[in-house]
Amino acid sequence: MKEEGHKSNGVIRISTDVLVVGGGVTGLGTAAKIAETGYRAIVVESGPGLWGGGPAMPPLAGIDEGGQDNVNEVLDKVKKDDLIEVMPHTTITGVAGVPGDFHVKLASNGDKKELVVGAVVAATDFLTRPLNEAYGLDLSDAVLTQTRLENMLGYGPDADDKAAESLSGKSILFLAGFAQEGNPITTKRVLKSVLAVEDMGGSTVHVCIGNIKVAGDGLERLYKEGRDKGASFYKLTEMPTVNAGGKKNAVSFFDPVLRETVELEADTVVIEEEIVTDGINEDLAELLRIDLGSSGYLQKDNVHRFPVNSNREGVYVVGPARDALGMAESYTDMGNVALELARLFGDGTKEVPSEIAVVDREKCAICLTCYRCCPHGAIYWDDKAVISPVACQACGTCASECPQDAIQVNGFQDDGIADQLEECCREENASGAPLIVAFCCRNSAAEAEQMATSFNMKLPEGLKTITVPCAGKIDIDYILSAFTEGADGVLVLSCHTGNCKSETGNAFARWRVNDAKRMLAEVGIDPERLCFETLASNMGPEFSSIVSGMEEKLKEMGPFHVKKAG
Amino acid sequence: METEKKVTVIGGGIAGLTAAWELASSGIHVDLVEKTGFLGGHAIQYCCKAVEECRQCGACTVEAMLKHVVGAPGIQVHLNSVPVAVEKNGDFSITLKKGPVYIDPEKCTNCGECFAACGEGGIVLKSYSKNNSPLYAIDAQRCAEAGEKDACNACEASCPEAAINLSSKAKDDTIHADAVVLATGFTPFDPDIKPTYGYGKNANVVTGLDLEKIIREKGGVIRPSDGKAPEKLAFIQCVGSRDDRLGNLWCSKVCCPYALRMAELIKKKNPEMEITVFYMDIQNTGKAFPVIYEQLKTDLRFVRTIPVDMFPNKEDGLETRYMNEGDGIPVGEAYDMVVLSIGIMPGPENETLARLFNVILDHDGFVAGHKGVDRSLTASDGVFVAGTIEGPKDIAASKAHAGNAANDVLKYVRGGK
Repeated sequence: MKEEGHKSNGVIRISTDVLVVGGGVTGLGTAAKIAETGYRAIVVESGPGLWGGGPAMPPLAGIDEGGQDNVNEVLDKVKKDDLIEVMPHTTITGVAGVPGDFHVKLASNGDKKELVVGAVVAATDFLTRPLNEAYGLDLSDAVLTQTRLENMLGYGPDADDKAAESLSGKSILFLAGFAQEGNPITTKRVLKSVLAVEDMGGSTVHVCIGNIKVAGDGLERLYKEGRDKGASFYKLTEMPTVNAGGKKNAVSFFDPVLRETVELEADTVVIEEEIVTDGINEDLAELLRIDLGSSGYLQKDNVHRFPVNSNREGVYVVGPARDALGMAESYTDMGNVALELARLFGDGTKEVPSEIAVVDREKCAICLTCYRCCPHGAIYWDDKAVISPVACQACGTCASECPQDAIQVNGFQDDGIADQLEECCREENASGAPLIVAFCCRNSAAEAEQMATSFNMKLPEGLKTITVPCAGKIDIDYILSAFTEGADGVLVLSCHTGNCKSETGNAFARWRVNDAKRMLAEVGIDPERLCFETLASNMGPEFSSIVSGMEEKLKEMGPFHVKKAG
Repeated sequence: METEKKVTVIGGGIAGLTAAWELASSGIHVDLVEKTGFLGGHAIQYCCKAVEECRQCGACTVEAMLKHVVGAPGIQVHLNSVPVAVEKNGDFSITLKKGPVYIDPEKCTNCGECFAACGEGGIVLKSYSKNNSPLYAIDAQRCAEAGEKDACNACEASCPEAAINLSSKAKDDTIHADAVVLATGFTPFDPDIKPTYGYGKNANVVTGLDLEKIIREKGGVIRPSDGKAPEKLAFIQCVGSRDDRLGNLWCSKVCCPYALRMAELIKKKNPEMEITVFYMDIQNTGKAFPVIYEQLKTDLRFVRTIPVDMFPNKEDGLETRYMNEGDGIPVGEAYDMVVLSIGIMPGPENETLARLFNVILDHDGFVAGHKGVDRSLTASDGVFVAGTIEGPKDIAASKAHAGNAANDVLKYVRGGK
């Protein structure tokens, strides 16, 4: 692996082609958006996809207003725009390299191919899974899945316009929100169908539902329309009992509003479906070295990033690949990807930022600790470890973990931190207030400290803060040096779990503090003199109370006497 | 080289800040117009809701975005300003009515003497964010109203730097723009519209927004009446939202997330506290919700009904009655403090903006996203929307919407294909 680095005067040239994974409406829509921004998009899809002869109507597209129009528009753009290339029946077998220079291995019908792209967008679509088993029901003409009903009503993936007639004059019962918690998309599917059935006239509609998830655009209005048109909604906490054996489906449940058991007969029972993520997501996460979130979605939630950004620069996640999002929300994501790509690529040259981590190639023993701990997938190697200046986000986790001390972060070198420590411990304070050294992550605690200072909140006299790019940069050496330099107590202040801009920097800091506590105890120093706390940038009052609490504790413990010799 | 394009962003909340920042990062000159004396909008007032673990509320990211914007060279901020006239001749010519700026930002050292002189809850306002400069502002309108009666001048007299001049006059301004982003946000539901809750009369009935501010400023929940932590706390969901009688046929999307996150945080800090959540339907708070919800069900008490009345009792608490689930017997219960989970309502300026910029409001009073799936476009060429002006959104969705608006604006001003 080698960076395609034609480095000159701190500027490198990068590829501005984009690989889009997913050939459904999300993937193709993303490609269209990328092409609109002026970059080339290559779409790969393991199946036929929307372009290669798959169903013309993707699952769920029919429930969105203008869904089919959007699909048609996207297909039209793909057809006309020569910046878009679609490769159906193609799988990704390997991804190497760094943003601006990803080397992607593809396999298609036995053929192998390699591509160089500047960025990758995961844009996989949803699949649906019937939940009839959770209700103990077999599917039949009287027990339908939501998708089958949508097909009968004329807006599913295999729509059959004539089938709707068979529903006329029937009693139809929907079951939703018992086999799963559900979300606005699953709710919207039910509400759309309820209205479509009501609009045909002559049918009776009952809906048994758990929490009705109306936190989506227009859903409360749809819910009201459904009720106004005659549908009965029963909001229950327990799953109803359905006996599908007889001529009609016999349904029974306790209604908390009427406070009695209700018995209904329904010609047709419609069972909710689960929205599931594309099974490829797990492999994709591994190939792209990005995090897998809950329920098979790509991407752990991290508020510091725009929703489409992953933990890796140059790798983005869009729409249904990252959350239960409808078409409009996915479209919003695509706009954001276009914006991010323009920022990453510009005109195809990139200035190397000054604040990055660099490896001292003399010291590097190529143990690959850095490669493993880097939360941004920014490290690769030739005969020594190499850090991509484009991908590095300067958190410093690698620098602190490197057993050879071979990595330094520009602006936060070990020497500089040592000087700062020495300086802040040298100042004599006449009052005799405990000297507290607080290592503060610049994304959270350092901001909270500024907030506390700006608003004149109470801060200890002997508080000295040292700002680090991320708590992951706080070496165990820094902590121990603070004591040898004369601190009475040391605080390590990082972001909350799950809030670290560099994903795991705070976890590394916590581990190191625990190690340091053990070491302190071994040499007879009270480990209580060292504390780890988490904060957010808007927690000025909490910052004040943490440092004040530390001061109180240190006052009780008395001064720490091991001063540096000389 | 391309001539510098100019975009006006109206509204300095999270959506406006994001749109401004994204555009400025792309080389656009941005005029950011904010009606109040501070940037940050509603979202800057929210508290962190982490329970050791981050709960993805996004409040901290508003601070970060605000910091970006005040440090960005390409963004000119117009505080205390509202658009009053717009002409479109190719580009937009926007007349801004500017309120007087009483505190000279050049001289102010943020010492806070003026705020202390006027008193908490007075006319001198304190910024929620450290990133606003100055940190204090004088509410021109309220000061003018008060000033006619008694020219108090306490703030002016208190300022050691002579940075305050209450006789400063307002000056209108005209700015030009190639495109406009409307991002004026929402207005929280006014709980006075539901007087039976006694908001404003009973100190311990607060709104969700009040609770955000309390936690942000005090670091935990306290009762306004006595400054003590309540022992029994109730949240009432859907106050103003999903209300057929009021014609508010929308879910505000954010109230379940903020209420449940705050309830979880409060419970974690005060394990003995009894917290009840009155609800119609619980909405999800993120993709891990099914897991979080199971835990919440054991930590909090969920009651599926919305109480209508709150009566004050002797202990400064509140009493309510509701039908018990299951047996249907009315029960009376007392709480030390009640939180009304007020919803997102269309902003009061939406109608004026619709008239000025020729955009259409939807039946709920939000600005209608115009074309199909792109919710950042409006009916008017060159006018885009971002954030809750278009409908309820949380912080992350507002930022994403603003990012998409910025992308649409770039395409529009640069004449892409």
